[in-house]
Amino acid sequence: METLLATFVSGLVLAALYALMASGLSLIWTTIGVFNFAHGALMMVGAFVAWTVSEVGGFGLWPGLIAGVATTTVLGVIIEYLLIRPFYGQRNMVLITVMTTLAAMIILEKSAQIIWGARLKQLPRMIEGDISISGAVISAHEALIVVLAPLILIALWQFTNRTPVGRSLRAVGQNQEAAALLGINVPLTFALAFGLGAALAGLTGVLLGGIRFITPSLGSEPLIKAMIVVIFGGLGSLGATVGAALVIGMAEAFLVLTLGLYWTPFAIFLGLIAVLVLRPNGLFGRS
Amino acid sequence: MDWKLAAGLGVLLILPFFVTDSYTRHLFILAFVYAILASNWDLSLGYAGLFNFGHIAFFATGVYTAAIAAKTLGVSPMLTIPLGGATAALTALIVAAPVARLKGIYVVLVTFAFSQVLLQLILSQSHITGGAEGMVRIPALQIGDYKFIRDFKFGYYYVALGLLVLSTFYLLWLTRSPFGKSLLALRDNEEYAGARGISIMRARVLALVASAIFPGMAGSFFAIYLRVASPEVLGFGTLSLVLSMVLIGGIATITGPIFAAFAIFFATETLAGTRGMEEFRFIIVAVAMILVLRFAPGGLARILQVFQFKKNRVL
Repeated sequence: METLLATFVSGLVLAALYALMASGLSLIWTTIGVFNFAHGALMMVGAFVAWTVSEVGGFGLWPGLIAGVATTTVLGVIIEYLLIRPFYGQRNMVLITVMTTLAAMIILEKSAQIIWGARLKQLPRMIEGDISISGAVISAHEALIVVLAPLILIALWQFTNRTPVGRSLRAVGQNQEAAALLGINVPLTFALAFGLGAALAGLTGVLLGGIRFITPSLGSEPLIKAMIVVIFGGLGSLGATVGAALVIGMAEAFLVLTLGLYWTPFAIFLGLIAVLVLRPNGLFGRS
Repeated sequence: MDWKLAAGLGVLLILPFFVTDSYTRHLFILAFVYAILASNWDLSLGYAGLFNFGHIAFFATGVYTAAIAAKTLGVSPMLTIPLGGATAALTALIVAAPVARLKGIYVVLVTFAFSQVLLQLILSQSHITGGAEGMVRIPALQIGDYKFIRDFKFGYYYVALGLLVLSTFYLLWLTRSPFGKSLLALRDNEEYAGARGISIMRARVLALVASAIFPGMAGSFFAIYLRVASPEVLGFGTLSLVLSMVLIGGIATITGPIFAAFAIFFATETLAGTRGMEEFRFIIVAVAMILVLRFAPGGLARILQVFQFKKNRVL
């Protein structure tokens, strides 16, 4: 019973992390239709900038967080302007932007290697100490992530569903021409979506920096996890992404318990291929 | 075969008699391997229009086939090269099953997920594959008493060049055959090609399998030559490097990616020796890839063709 509970709790932590990692990727995919391969690299940049401001600059964690998120937001807008915008309306836009964002990923990772070097760095935790939930112990930082993830996602949902700007984001995602005819500034909306997605990546990166070592390749594994979640959920809605994050997080925690650490990623990727073949619109997607 | 290819081949054939140091020959051998990988990737990307990320997985299949066959099972290293081609083709057949039904971004995702499955399999089966550390001291190539490493890698140079020549002939023959033309028809107008009786599924499966054979053999050769097999070949680094060769060279040209593979490989290797350039060279390649996509979507091969066309018209 206690093992089950501990597994459940670790599944919950994973699910919250995966939901955060995937939220920005999902947002950019739904609005612009771009699969951003630089998403993980943006997390890494967020963590490095936060580390520089808070540890090297000595300004503390909160200014670091703000600087990290601000930097990735600006980078996101730049990436959209230079690497996405020139290709709008092209027949193979989705595939071309896969290649340009892949190039952006390489540029960001190698730049980080040049600027910060390969030595391991770590951010302090947002909250110190551990929390015990009837026997299952997690760090307070992880508990914060579990609380923060749903809040951020709800805020994002509220934004895209309730505010005029958020609605225009969705309108552009559904039909660019109709949205333009309604007077929505389509290019601005694209820039906004990319900036917001990149900001979410930066925030995720800063949170990751407290539990993992910050290296130039910090973003590779989260990128792949975010991809898995977005594909499982179906390339579409934010709600499906959250559901998929829960399914993957829990599945991973319980698979580690039953199949062991080595076979779990293998099983998850096989499941992913099965989903792509049988339900290309995702587990929760409509065809 | 046009005269430029013949001239290039001629130069490469006599080159070892003038270039005798083993490091330069080593660079040529690796450039041949990359050229095979890039040009075969072009068959599925440029001709079949399949945006697959599976080619490094086919290459890795060859690498590990050779490593396991030669080191663990004691197969003669020479035989592992065709064996790698066979296992890579089999891998491609497995990948092709889902890919044949999917389109666009889903092909990217499924093939990328597949290369990750392979990576996880290699990492988890460390008693067979050596896990994250990989395998070392794989038996080297030799015939009788003659070790191919001798005479400053003279033997290896010609094995690699032979593979590249075979692969290039094969690709040129395939793309000019009715099958190659049916691939182009499918890429340019799927509905119309389908209506004319070309089976989409069959063409896609065949294209993927056909483009996996030589990368598999190149992978096996790579493992036998370097005597190392490492899971690093499945990383983003190899993927983006080879992809940049295909794109910068020019898709659907076969020869473009071969020339680009030489140019990019030698450029990055030269920069690797320059202080401060170790990491920066990858940024240069990535920027070049973006610039080509933006301003010369057909790649550099197309630019040269346009020049020729203009010249002819003036005359």
